[in-house]
Amino acid sequence: MSKKTIELEVSRTPEMGMDFRPAPGPMQPVDLAEPDLQSERMLINVGPQHPATHGVLRLVLELDGETVVRCVPHIGYLHSSFEKLGEYRTWNQVIPLTDRMDYLAPLIYNCAYAMAVEKMMGVEVTERCKITRVIMMELDRIFSHLLWLGTWAIDVGAFTPFLYAFQQREKVYKLHEAYTGARITTSATRIGGMMSDMPEGWDVGVRKFINELPRTMDEIESLLSHNAIHIGRTQGVGVISAEDAIDMGLSGPNLRATGVPYDVRKDRPYYDYETYEFEVPIGEYGDCYDRYMVRLEEIRQSCRILHQALDRLPEGPMNVDDPRVILPSKTDLMNDMESMIHHFKLVMEGVKAPPGESHFSVEGSKGELGMYVVSDGGSKPVRWRVRPPSFVNLAAIPQLVEGGLLADVIMVNASLDIVLGEIDR
Amino acid sequence: MSMEGGSGYKDVPGPAEETGALVSMPSGLERAHATVPVLKERFEDAFLRHEVVAGDEHVVFVARDRLYEVLQWLKTDPDHAYNFLSDVTAVDYGGGRPIQMVYQLYSIPHRRVLRVKAEVPLSDLEVDSVVPLWSAANWLEREVYDMFGVRFRNHPDLRRILMPEVYAEGHPLRKDFPLRGRFSRAEQTRRALAQAPEDYYIPSDFGPGRDFQVVGWQEVGGEPVPVKEGSAQERKASPPPASGSPPDPTRS
Amino acid sequence: MSDTTSVRQTPSAAGSGLPGGIFGEGTPTFLTTKVDFVVNWARRNSLWPMPFGTACCAIEMMASAASNNDLARFGMERMSFSPRQADVLICAGRVPYKLAPVLRRIWDQMPQPKWAVSMGACASSGGVFDAYSMVQGIDTIIPVDVYVPGCPPRPEALIYGLIMIQEKIRGETLGQHARNRAEDPAAVGRPRADAAEVEALSHPFGNSTNQNRASGLVPGIPTVRPGDRIP
Repeated sequence: MSKKTIELEVSRTPEMGMDFRPAPGPMQPVDLAEPDLQSERMLINVGPQHPATHGVLRLVLELDGETVVRCVPHIGYLHSSFEKLGEYRTWNQVIPLTDRMDYLAPLIYNCAYAMAVEKMMGVEVTERCKITRVIMMELDRIFSHLLWLGTWAIDVGAFTPFLYAFQQREKVYKLHEAYTGARITTSATRIGGMMSDMPEGWDVGVRKFINELPRTMDEIESLLSHNAIHIGRTQGVGVISAEDAIDMGLSGPNLRATGVPYDVRKDRPYYDYETYEFEVPIGEYGDCYDRYMVRLEEIRQSCRILHQALDRLPEGPMNVDDPRVILPSKTDLMNDMESMIHHFKLVMEGVKAPPGESHFSVEGSKGELGMYVVSDGGSKPVRWRVRPPSFVNLAAIPQLVEGGLLADVIMVNASLDIVLGEIDR
Repeated sequence: MSMEGGSGYKDVPGPAEETGALVSMPSGLERAHATVPVLKERFEDAFLRHEVVAGDEHVVFVARDRLYEVLQWLKTDPDHAYNFLSDVTAVDYGGGRPIQMVYQLYSIPHRRVLRVKAEVPLSDLEVDSVVPLWSAANWLEREVYDMFGVRFRNHPDLRRILMPEVYAEGHPLRKDFPLRGRFSRAEQTRRALAQAPEDYYIPSDFGPGRDFQVVGWQEVGGEPVPVKEGSAQERKASPPPASGSPPDPTRS
Repeated sequence: MSDTTSVRQTPSAAGSGLPGGIFGEGTPTFLTTKVDFVVNWARRNSLWPMPFGTACCAIEMMASAASNNDLARFGMERMSFSPRQADVLICAGRVPYKLAPVLRRIWDQMPQPKWAVSMGACASSGGVFDAYSMVQGIDTIIPVDVYVPGCPPRPEALIYGLIMIQEKIRGETLGQHARNRAEDPAAVGRPRADAAEVEALSHPFGNSTNQNRASGLVPGIPTVRPGDRIP
């Protein structure tokens, strides 16, 4: 038989409305199951509810024996209409949506969105705010990579690194919570600044965390990096060349594992990243193992950046002194008529962005994260578009798994570090 | 805001100009872009206009029919070599105005960014696919098709990507699409549960005649939203609201 | 059916003349208890959750299974990724319409007795996502026993929700169980709620009333969609 479709046993009744189902004809799977006995191809459906798909990704794999001859990804099972909702929210109200988009690195999304809107409005944030955002973005890069590391270890068959990684993640949760009051959905930024200044001693907590982290990283690395099972399952698996990777639009660690040193922090620096001392790790072979090594090294480099950023954290105001975007202080509000008016307008109408647009990219934990905002002068975006790094990275998965084994699909999928909330938006 | 040619935003007295003192634009506003003059010279008739937005972002509008040609040149010319397609998206400004296709390009060797735009009228939503140039465009164009209904000529596998294949309510990111969809919630739930995910194992197998026979929301029951023909023209005729006027109740 | 019974030690132990029972010498070698109690005790303390994790809440669900908030303390040691062996469905995260048939099928594939936890605002009510693609509360699709509020709920909240499931099991009786848990085979794959109920459950509220007005779905209120704004 050429195609074997697995009929699940749930019966379906005509009252459910078959009228808008695809017309009978070439679509019916039963037609495809007609035997022609020439080949032994089998369809395997992975997901959307599967523990190794890291969300609700669905892959349909056509197998010849155990070799994948074709892989068809189906996405959209978590399409939450973020971009449409953004058009019905004021500029600041979009921020809570951004952290629900990538719940593995919420602060990077908060910051990237605020930076795009500020760039469009021509608002220059204060030095303290800049460095705070650098700290937050690097902290969440670690946060995201740690979750990736844990789930990656589970996919390769090791459970202990998951527990180690989550123990460290709990510390970042606590830091998130100390600053923003929420563990994941931080909503920390505002247009023109942050939701508040950092609480007393927060930077000390960050420093304590990054001092302790390398030890755990060493432990995890000693469990995985030279582990024969891990090496056997990842080296030479899911190989992609540098040219193909650029052509497919891969970015972030997935691109750097192929040897292309493209990092937005270095190539198009924002927030004075050019003044920080850090290396961009690149791989050599472009396989799963290289992606693993690149991410491990990125965690260490983020620690380096965090040390430098904490050293240069200046005193001073956190929010920009601009009544268009930031509420006046309570004292001003009570004593100054002008501040009262600004306060009223900001609360009633929200921030108003001048007509214009901006496409602003930062280096997210998954790759190049672009925020495209378009304003028509109103208090709501005309268009809020996210350039989703994992969406573009995931598009390369057929190329990576076809010709490989079925078991390698899980590793390749894990090595891409996808987050479905941002793929489907 | 605009350097040359007529920007759509040019005549609008926005808050930026009224409170100009508060805007701190980065210096180097008119910094030239290494590609734009060459592009203008080479594609004189296809090059419509050039804008600089948000301080340093260069936007080039090109004619829709020659979009592929321009992008091909931008990718292959060794002096420019925009080999990294960062983003393909579209913007619908509503009110019957054309949909803007947005191509965000990046040149890894030259570290250069360029945004190319093309306007596509609503009556003929079709452009050339750029998948032959960058494979990255495959899913991005499918998303634009799904969300805006723009069709891409020569796309290898143009079908919905985020919404279900049988989605009948239209293209969600168009401005005339209501936020909560066109059907009632009960109807949406009924339709959702009537889907059978295993019908779509490998849709491209079903050949070029793969037509899902999606009955549009206009034909079936449900509660189609009346399309407000008048409102767009009325709004267009009225002057844009000055920022001092009382806020539009629907905006706040 | 009697609601009490006696549990005797196995004849080999009781009749072998060994001194004492499980509690030491001199204690009786049998217990009396209620079937309800024993069955509920067994069910309650070995719940196998089926983690239907989609979005942010799934990360908190992972956190509750990880070292700091060890879910295994409450008998949920084994996350059952197959619905066939699961007792309690934890729906953690947003559920779009495209995912609705998947959720419904997983629920149908779980054997009785089964319970469902709706974790987080989005699963319970749609949350902030009052938009075209989102199910407005999974209770329109499957019956839900416990709603855990939060966006996302903390691991403690999820554990508390699961303890509430345990409390619910404690109160069940076998006599009523079949009636409470009866499922109409014809209802398999159908929405749990009928059209009127779906409409009532997903009616806009709070801030989303404004959205609904803007979408033009409420008659009689003149609206201007954002698309009609002229830059």
